[in-house]
Amino acid sequence: MTTLVEAIDLKKTYMLGKVPVEAVRGVNIKVEAGDFVSILGPSGSGKSTMLNLIGALDKPTSGTLLIDGVDISKLNDNQLTDLRRRIGFVFQFFNLIPRLTARDNVELALSIADVGKAERSPRAVELLEKVGLKDRINHKPAELSGGQQQRVAIARALANKPKFLLLDEPTGNIDSKTAAEIVGLLRKLNVESHVSIIMVTHDQHLAREANRTLEMFDGQISSEVVNQQ
Amino acid sequence: MKAYDILGYSFSAIKLRKLRAALTTLGVIIGIAAVVALLSITQGLQVSITNDLNRGLSATTLIVVPGSNALGGVGGGTGSGVGGGLGARSGSGAGLGLGSGSASSGFALYVNYTREIDALSPEINSSTAVIERSGYMNADGLNSPVTIYGVDFSQYAQQYPTTFVAASGNVPLNPSSNDIVVGTRVSDPRENGTELFNAGDNVRIVWTNATTLPVVNETYIAQVSGILKTVGGFGLAGPSDTGVYMPLNQAESFFGTNQCDMIIVQLKNSNNSTITDVSKAITDYFGGQVTVISSTAVLSLLSTIFGTIQLFLGGIAAISLLVAGIGIMNIMIVSLIERTREIGILKALGMKSRTVLSIFLGESAIIGLIGAFAGILSGWILANIVARLLGSGAFGGTGFKVTPLLTPEVFLGSLAFGVGISVIFALYPAWRASKLKPVEALRYE
Repeated sequence: MTTLVEAIDLKKTYMLGKVPVEAVRGVNIKVEAGDFVSILGPSGSGKSTMLNLIGALDKPTSGTLLIDGVDISKLNDNQLTDLRRRIGFVFQFFNLIPRLTARDNVELALSIADVGKAERSPRAVELLEKVGLKDRINHKPAELSGGQQQRVAIARALANKPKFLLLDEPTGNIDSKTAAEIVGLLRKLNVESHVSIIMVTHDQHLAREANRTLEMFDGQISSEVVNQQ
Repeated sequence: MKAYDILGYSFSAIKLRKLRAALTTLGVIIGIAAVVALLSITQGLQVSITNDLNRGLSATTLIVVPGSNALGGVGGGTGSGVGGGLGARSGSGAGLGLGSGSASSGFALYVNYTREIDALSPEINSSTAVIERSGYMNADGLNSPVTIYGVDFSQYAQQYPTTFVAASGNVPLNPSSNDIVVGTRVSDPRENGTELFNAGDNVRIVWTNATTLPVVNETYIAQVSGILKTVGGFGLAGPSDTGVYMPLNQAESFFGTNQCDMIIVQLKNSNNSTITDVSKAITDYFGGQVTVISSTAVLSLLSTIFGTIQLFLGGIAAISLLVAGIGIMNIMIVSLIERTREIGILKALGMKSRTVLSIFLGESAIIGLIGAFAGILSGWILANIVARLLGSGAFGGTGFKVTPLLTPEVFLGSLAFGVGISVIFALYPAWRASKLKPVEALRYE
């Protein structure tokens, strides 16, 4: 099995004004390919900082973080950017580009990764069909419901065949019924398409949908639970 | 990200804020239009003046005027009276004159100096003296101011074979003393076909003699032998549409002088060495008391003058482009702040900093390009409107024809300048956008 993410004594301190905040204080985790892991914690537990680190959006203060075998503390901004193309981000607030249609949002991710024009459109359509948005392809985000927008975001995250999906409160902004659908979609992607998933949330129920739940508290992993599906 | 994808993305951002983009573009349009309008008008003016000069001052012609520095004064051409040189002729409305220099030494040219000039160099074909005075012509009860030239008809016709040609009547090569030839605007001052007189008619020539006191109005009846073809232009040299030409010996006796105001020298060829050698021989012969004007010297002076004018006007217009540039910078900074989150998303999706930079520069380049094209077009239209107004005399005077000229240099230069300014002023906002940290940008509300 390939190790996708491996953190060894990972620490991150950032300055909040003049006050140093130790957001992550010695985290050790390992995520293998095909896994579906949730990181659960209340706000202030350091889970968002973990998300930024695993997403190669930020660099650790100390310790080692290997993403897809690469030590990110040794990378410059450009290399971090390249690494991010191998990660599929899904955000709480969807973060779609409002002026672009569903298809164009997915195609944007492809064009950023230098995928040729001819390949982009069929691939975007295929992905949108996969997340169940076959009939919403040419709609702009404002014309879509929260759940639909999140599906577009998932399709966009999958565009460049990432090593894993990284989700930040994926259902935080949608109603519970739609949330269940999104979770169903994630499970389906994990089981049927073998997409590895790392999900950060403060929602206990959502966290239990993953195969494993890592509970974070005060910048450290306090417990690990294997969930029975 | 590929270049056309970057441009496409930039364009989609511009389309989102159409009014804002349009107003930003308007700044560029105004700046470029001002540059193009001013430059194409001045270049058109330069061409028409140059053509006009070439008509009057062929490459094989030298003009000798008294005074040591006749060539060099611009604007205040002393056309009337002594030492007229190529001065502005009355009624021609020209703004540029090559006035007489310092003739205060008392030196004067005499009609019979032509013989001495002829003997100076074998390269000289012939030379002819010109007496020039301001006077009046009384025809059909109407008294109109004219410039009177005393010239040797046959020699003058030989020196200006294309312009000293009659449209009606004829130019007598052996004129009797009361024969005159006139420019078209003398017989048709309103240029509407209503002629005050025709060839063959008698008119009264009046000259106010102020050399004696009390002042006397000298007058005689002349017969119009011919009316010249329209010469056009400013009448800087050679036959003029507003000139009255009388035989040289008649001018000498009528004006009571044997001094002349210029001597026109025709060379056998237009080689630079010939022009230089003969000019020097003439200047030396008269002990530096004359100025020899050649077409090459005039044209080079003219192009220097116009170069300066264009630099000056273009510079003023360019300032408005700087203002447009600051507008672009301003709007780009606003746009950058508004789109902080979007930049965070793009970076999270794996967009490189330099691609973010290119997107912002692309937006300003598109604005610059559209602005420059629209500016060139509106500048060109503006130049043509101004030229038409100038031609119709809306700005006073009788008007003169200018055809605006848009050279490839001005076209490409304005294009490059418009795009360049836009991109340069977008550099800072674009750089700031590219340096945004994805974590912070994503958190931005």
